[in-house]
Amino acid sequence: MAAVKYIASEKLPEWLKALASERRVLVPVEEGGGVVFRPFDPARQPVFGSDATAPPKAAVFPACQELFRYENGKDPEDAGKPTLNIIPTIEATPTVVFGAKPCGARGFLIFDRVYQGKKFPDPYYTAARDATVFITMACATVENTCFCNWVGSGPADTAGSDVLLTPIAGGYLVEAVSDKGAPFLDSPLLTDGAAKTAEAEAVRTKARESLAPAPDIADAPAALLAAFDDMDFWRDQSDKCISCGACTYLCPTCYCFTITDETAGNAGRRMRSWDACMHFQFTLEASGHNPRPTKAHRLRNRVGHKFSYYPTLHEGLIACCGCGRCVKSCPVSVDIREIVQNAVARAKA
Amino acid sequence: MSRLEELKTRIKEALPGLECVIGWQKGYDLLHHTPLFMRSEADVDKLEWSPLNVHNPAVYLPPFRGKKVGVVVKGCDSRSVVELLQEKLVNRDEIVIFGLPCDGVVDLSKVKAKLATAGVTAGQVEAVSHNDKTIVVTAGGKAVSMQMTDVAADKCLRCQFPNAVLADAYVGDPIAPSAPSPAADADLTALDAMSVPERMAFWRYHMDRCIRCYACRNACPMCVCRDHCIAQSREPHWLSQDDTVTEKLMFQVVHAMHLAGRCTECGECQRACPMDIPVLALKKHLNRTIHDLFNYQAGVDPAAIPPLLQFKVEEDNIKERGW
Amino acid sequence: MTDPFNPYLPEVATILETVQETHNIKTFRVRFDDEAKMAAFKFEPGQVGQLSAPGIGESTFVINSPPSRMDYLQFSVMRAGEVTSQLHNLNAGDKIGVRAPLGNAFPYASMKGKDVVFVGGGIGMAPLRTLFLYMLDNRADYGKIRLLYGARSPLDMAFSAELPEWLSRKDIETTLTIDREADGWEHKVGLIPNVLLEMAPKADNCVAITCGPPIMIKFTLEALKKLGFQDDQIYTTLEKRMKCGIGICGRCNIGTSYVCVDGPVYTYAQLKALPNEL
Repeated sequence: MAAVKYIASEKLPEWLKALASERRVLVPVEEGGGVVFRPFDPARQPVFGSDATAPPKAAVFPACQELFRYENGKDPEDAGKPTLNIIPTIEATPTVVFGAKPCGARGFLIFDRVYQGKKFPDPYYTAARDATVFITMACATVENTCFCNWVGSGPADTAGSDVLLTPIAGGYLVEAVSDKGAPFLDSPLLTDGAAKTAEAEAVRTKARESLAPAPDIADAPAALLAAFDDMDFWRDQSDKCISCGACTYLCPTCYCFTITDETAGNAGRRMRSWDACMHFQFTLEASGHNPRPTKAHRLRNRVGHKFSYYPTLHEGLIACCGCGRCVKSCPVSVDIREIVQNAVARAKA
Repeated sequence: MSRLEELKTRIKEALPGLECVIGWQKGYDLLHHTPLFMRSEADVDKLEWSPLNVHNPAVYLPPFRGKKVGVVVKGCDSRSVVELLQEKLVNRDEIVIFGLPCDGVVDLSKVKAKLATAGVTAGQVEAVSHNDKTIVVTAGGKAVSMQMTDVAADKCLRCQFPNAVLADAYVGDPIAPSAPSPAADADLTALDAMSVPERMAFWRYHMDRCIRCYACRNACPMCVCRDHCIAQSREPHWLSQDDTVTEKLMFQVVHAMHLAGRCTECGECQRACPMDIPVLALKKHLNRTIHDLFNYQAGVDPAAIPPLLQFKVEEDNIKERGW
Repeated sequence: MTDPFNPYLPEVATILETVQETHNIKTFRVRFDDEAKMAAFKFEPGQVGQLSAPGIGESTFVINSPPSRMDYLQFSVMRAGEVTSQLHNLNAGDKIGVRAPLGNAFPYASMKGKDVVFVGGGIGMAPLRTLFLYMLDNRADYGKIRLLYGARSPLDMAFSAELPEWLSRKDIETTLTIDREADGWEHKVGLIPNVLLEMAPKADNCVAITCGPPIMIKFTLEALKKLGFQDDQIYTTLEKRMKCGIGICGRCNIGTSYVCVDGPVYTYAQLKALPNEL
């Protein structure tokens, strides 16, 4: 039987301290006008009520990471012969991401299928993924940009989490979700929580029921393909887009990157860093040809990838967790919910 | 007929000759408007005019070159249009400018902060009402009343151009600017008071938070080289893609330098930043330097040339000879 | 063979020799420094490799030598941007990084017993070369083999050193063409699609493989359709800006199809089924 524990709010800082003594612990804290994940600092109070501005994506998939170093040299036995040495850099810091909302952890489901494929598994990703534990916090309240229920998720979705906390009176219910998470319930700071499961369930039900009902977007994959060549449609959807990368970099499921080399003298590093399909340069070819020359083309690809191509390739899994960050943080309020619904309506007309 | 209704009529009259007219409409919730591209009379009916019209529609103009477009502007937006005209990034005969007198816009980050103090979140907004003095936001069951002066955008607190500086169709009587409030430049005051190492630490702190999304760059109407930006270019190779304070600060400095004398302080860069980084301060600082050296303000006179896009053999305030 | 554990690590190779094919196409013949890896290396005609110009970056090129000739791996590079310009600076003895094999191959097994028509333009001859030579090395498995190779001028023809041998072989039909008359040119003059129509290969039990500049492909496809070729009888290879080459970084897709893993070899039927995003 899976253990169910409880931790009182006053005990939480102690638990975090204990966790932080053995590994890096990332918690949501207030910064600027929003909430971001930072390494646990006893002097900074974590906040669990609101969804962080940026998801904890960087804990597993950093904004920039070194793939390998390279060194050009000379053969010690023959000065005329050059040598090239390549030294991979696979590192992973044991990490606990504490207090992310379920949508933040769910994003890794989308990553896993791509980065842990059979033919070319990504060892950098795997090392970080294996080293990271998600102790997520179920949502007690929802915002008007939340649409997790559209994509098969919800305020207490356990997909991607290792331990799930649910806020209840005086503290949090603590439930193990995965084998990786179960040992965390052994902390002496946690007490038995069996008596509080009903209360936690009520919190979760209330949150789920306060979400606006999800429209039927089962036809979205086909509808988006059907709209592919309708550039007037994509012009209308993308008119106000400014082609930055805010939506992409704040999205828990966006996983695209670029690879660049930086050399200093005879040595250097090959790095991979976040990239956004919203940028003009993303698909720009050396000849000057660009398959996605305008923002209409690029927005079409972004929405198409998330709600059509990815689900088609991955048994219906939508490459979106419904967190609404893109809607909230877009400088001009491009709303992906609207675009998907417009495509579905267009296909029906 | 209200000013807005009269404006809609004027836009509908002009629409047949235009690719579209750019304005604002209701957004995804009661606290957000969003840019509107009017192509039909039904579109024009959606046009809104309120303190939620925070976006600068001038950013959409350069890609429309070669086509005729209309644009509805606040006073600050019109300065961006004038700057684009000065640099020939848009053609005067290809834009039709519609204006209304502007009472200012809100800074949503200030609204969110007020709501947070009251223990509610903007993401649960249920109702919004306002008059010229106060705005009342009802969220999470609580009605929170705020003074407009407390939640207005900083630029509005010192705005000297409440009316479009250039317009083809201006509806309503021009309003007089108010005396600038010192609160509007609190960001510069705070930075001026810091020592140089403190300032560096301030910017290093913020650049560490930056996610390099380029929202600040792309929201700027004057930044037209975004598809070929040095921040992402290998030729020339000024920056690497490394996620470090150095790279990101370099980008901000380059961007601010490219805007010196061209930036109209519309504030879109700062508004667009999802991490609430006060990037506008860098541009404001360079602008006041430009003002001191060249007695110049961007985006006011369509016939003017920005000081860094021209030179004088003998500068008024830069004494290079006879030191 | 790309290290199965870390698919991002290039294998260090040495350039054995280079050939300046044209003013902007240079051929590289390379061998892995690790002889055991070289001996164990397997690939199929059509598959590609990412060549690293160390310190600059990587670009994707077809391995244009056939698996039946393993003295070296051959890549032909057209100079276009930063990486290719740096590659062009490399010479025999220099080091280069290779991540291969990547992508899919021509379904050469299903082509056995069929007639084959190769139509190549300019650098487009490179992807054809690997399959063409593989078929020559397994001649008995295939029916009639014809090669139509064209370029703007004689100076733009790649693999010039090999053309006399191909022309002289009696078990294949080789036709060369250039766009405009040139002094000393003894072969055909005319645009590739027109010469193809003249040659009039029979579509029955035949496959056509074509690579070259987009405009040439467009009109060659029209000619092939006129000659009765069905969409699934026509093969081509695609290029896209690539980075990871292993289907992860998200940039080379055409709808659901990632050119680095599902391609670069496609039939025209497959391309027609994909969204128009070339």
